[in-house]
Amino acid sequence: MPRLRRTRGQLRGSPQFRLRAGFVLIAMVISVFGARLVQLQGVDPGSYAAMAAAEGTVRAVLPAERGDILDRNGEPLADSVDGLMVVADPKEIDEEDTADIARFLSQRLSVDYIDTLARLRERGSQFEYIARRVPSTLANDVLKEAEDRGIKGLSTRRDPVRIYPAHDVAANVLGFIGTDQPFGGLEEAFDTYLSGQDGEARYEVGGGNRIPLGTNEITKPVDGADLDTTLDRDLQWYTQRVLRSAVVKARGDSGVAIIMDSRTGEILADADYPTYDAANPADYPDTDRGARTISEPYEPGSVEKVLTLSSLIDAGRMTARTRFTVPGQLARQDRVIKDYFEHGTIRLTLAGILAKSSNIGTVLAADRFKTGELRAYLNAFGLGQKTEVGLLSESRGILPDPSMWTSQTEDRIAFGQSLAVTPVQMAAAVNTIANGGVRISPSLIKGTATRDDGAQFGTDVATTRRVVSAHAARQTTLMMERVVDPEDGVAPGAQVAGYRVAGKTGTAQRVSPECGCYDGTFTVSFGGFAPADEPRFTIYVAIQNPRNGGGGGSVAGPVFSQLMNFTLHRYGVAPTGRKPTVLPVEW
Amino acid sequence: MSALSSARTVSQPSMLSRARAPFEAAIDRARLTVVPHRRVRAPRMPFVTLVSVVLLGGIVGLLCFNTQMQQASFAASTLEERAANLSAREQTLHSELQALRDPQHLAVLAAQAGMVAPQNACTLKLGSAASDGCTPATRGSTPPPFAPPPSKPSVINPRPIKVEVPYTPSEHAAAGQWATRHGDTRRG
Repeated sequence: MPRLRRTRGQLRGSPQFRLRAGFVLIAMVISVFGARLVQLQGVDPGSYAAMAAAEGTVRAVLPAERGDILDRNGEPLADSVDGLMVVADPKEIDEEDTADIARFLSQRLSVDYIDTLARLRERGSQFEYIARRVPSTLANDVLKEAEDRGIKGLSTRRDPVRIYPAHDVAANVLGFIGTDQPFGGLEEAFDTYLSGQDGEARYEVGGGNRIPLGTNEITKPVDGADLDTTLDRDLQWYTQRVLRSAVVKARGDSGVAIIMDSRTGEILADADYPTYDAANPADYPDTDRGARTISEPYEPGSVEKVLTLSSLIDAGRMTARTRFTVPGQLARQDRVIKDYFEHGTIRLTLAGILAKSSNIGTVLAADRFKTGELRAYLNAFGLGQKTEVGLLSESRGILPDPSMWTSQTEDRIAFGQSLAVTPVQMAAAVNTIANGGVRISPSLIKGTATRDDGAQFGTDVATTRRVVSAHAARQTTLMMERVVDPEDGVAPGAQVAGYRVAGKTGTAQRVSPECGCYDGTFTVSFGGFAPADEPRFTIYVAIQNPRNGGGGGSVAGPVFSQLMNFTLHRYGVAPTGRKPTVLPVEW
Repeated sequence: MSALSSARTVSQPSMLSRARAPFEAAIDRARLTVVPHRRVRAPRMPFVTLVSVVLLGGIVGLLCFNTQMQQASFAASTLEERAANLSAREQTLHSELQALRDPQHLAVLAAQAGMVAPQNACTLKLGSAASDGCTPATRGSTPPPFAPPPSKPSVINPRPIKVEVPYTPSEHAAAGQWATRHGDTRRG
């Protein structure tokens, strides 16, 4: 018996061997499984789980709505509406259909045909922009029509649209939004303030619908804050139209007009000509897309005499009735100073010097300044420094450094040449006289807003500074009233019927950048305020190179008159009913 | 002495048996016997039914609830789409409204209606029934809403050539005849 067993065992091989071999084989296979298990679960489990979850997860950006830019009455100057962008997936579009689809899209969405065709034919791309910032209804209609026609591969995504309902009104101050970023003006300066923060929603979808009880995480978007400006939209429109009409009539190169509230320093209108349509900025040259009112300095001319003479009165050197003997011309160093009108030796009071705008008289008066005094006063008036209204690219103008301040510079600066100012600086300086000698910083923003660089701007953070005494301001006002007098003054066209107006004309020589010399063209300007005894509004108008031969009184004065009339009317300012006091201009 | 012992002897078997009785009872009680097999009549089905009903009800309820939620999800998607559509229309209407309120647009409509901007501030003194500065408005103070057209160079915008034609009286006029109603031809 045992032998038989052995024989059978020899014929069939050793069961021990088979058993062992089987075990080893199974053990190898199981160890491979074990190693893979360790790799999947132990080494990097997170990524595999994420990959599985990502299959059905949708990640949608919830865009934040950009804040509106409003005028002082809440009217929108810049508004945000929901829009859509139309995108195409060229992979899903056949080559032979691209021409038809491009024609359809170019007709409906007003996009360039060639450009669209090129994008649709872009091989290897799965995402091509067809149209950006399309109003939602238009985009949805176009897509529906495309679907009806059997066109595949088009889809939409959210893309908010910025609209400028008033087009060119305050466009110089607002700036505009390009494809994705702002350019210039308040849009660029306060971009972070206006933008807010985008949010995100992550949720699971199945068959196009959200799976309830699936992952549902939402980070809510933070909408941008609205920016309230001090501008008055309707007044700004009127100012821009009147300015344009005046500059065109005078055949000038450009013009600016600024209307300020005398007591609070709020800028009610800040007009530029030529300007552009913020809704279609590409149609206009980029020289027109900025704000000349803050960025282009020029020599102010005789309007600056107001600052010189008020400083002299404040320093106690003279009064409005101080008498001067003014010669026909004045030789100073290497230049001869002349007046705009030929005269022999005439006898003018200080009021007469201002009313008749005599350069020689002003130089004689300014001789009574001590060294450095005029510069200190002009600094206090805000010349040579930025006005900090909040816009970027603001020029500080040019007030010569004390090291470059010669007596000849002082003579010329006394009557408004050899220094450069921006219109806002000049308006704020003239407003100092209107505000009883206290300079209040001009503001474009109501309340407070924080610019991108962290600085705060607005009426809440406006600063005040006393520059000249109230008595000096009052005396200067009375002198300025003489300027619009029909007999004694040079700008009877600046009168406003029924109101007492105080102002000053300016006709300044302009510097040509090529030769660095005066090229024979002029900047005509008029700065003033009304009612003179209780000033409410200060208006400054300047026109560059009027070719009709007019001066400040004949070109800028009527603009001032029309604007002041409208502003007083709009804000319901009644005439004070008092007659202007008559200061003697000659003796 | 003998009475006591006899008494003890006489009652010994009954005393013993009485004394032994509780012990015997205890022993009897302690002796293991098989419990008689009795059929338990308590009903089992209701409990089983209850448990299975609860189980089934729970599962079915869960299924229904889940289905309901999915249906609601479909409805939510449709409503979201509708809301997005209506929101888009509202935005379009909003932009249209803003365009209508544009001061330029209003100025053009006003000009077409013949309106002008006021010239002077008109003050009415109610106490003394007097007015001051109330002059009627003219076109003068209304700024033109449109920019003037760009000036064209003289090549494409030449100055008009003025030709003065001296008046030469025709022979009919010289004869004092007026032109007939049918023209200047004279019919014989």
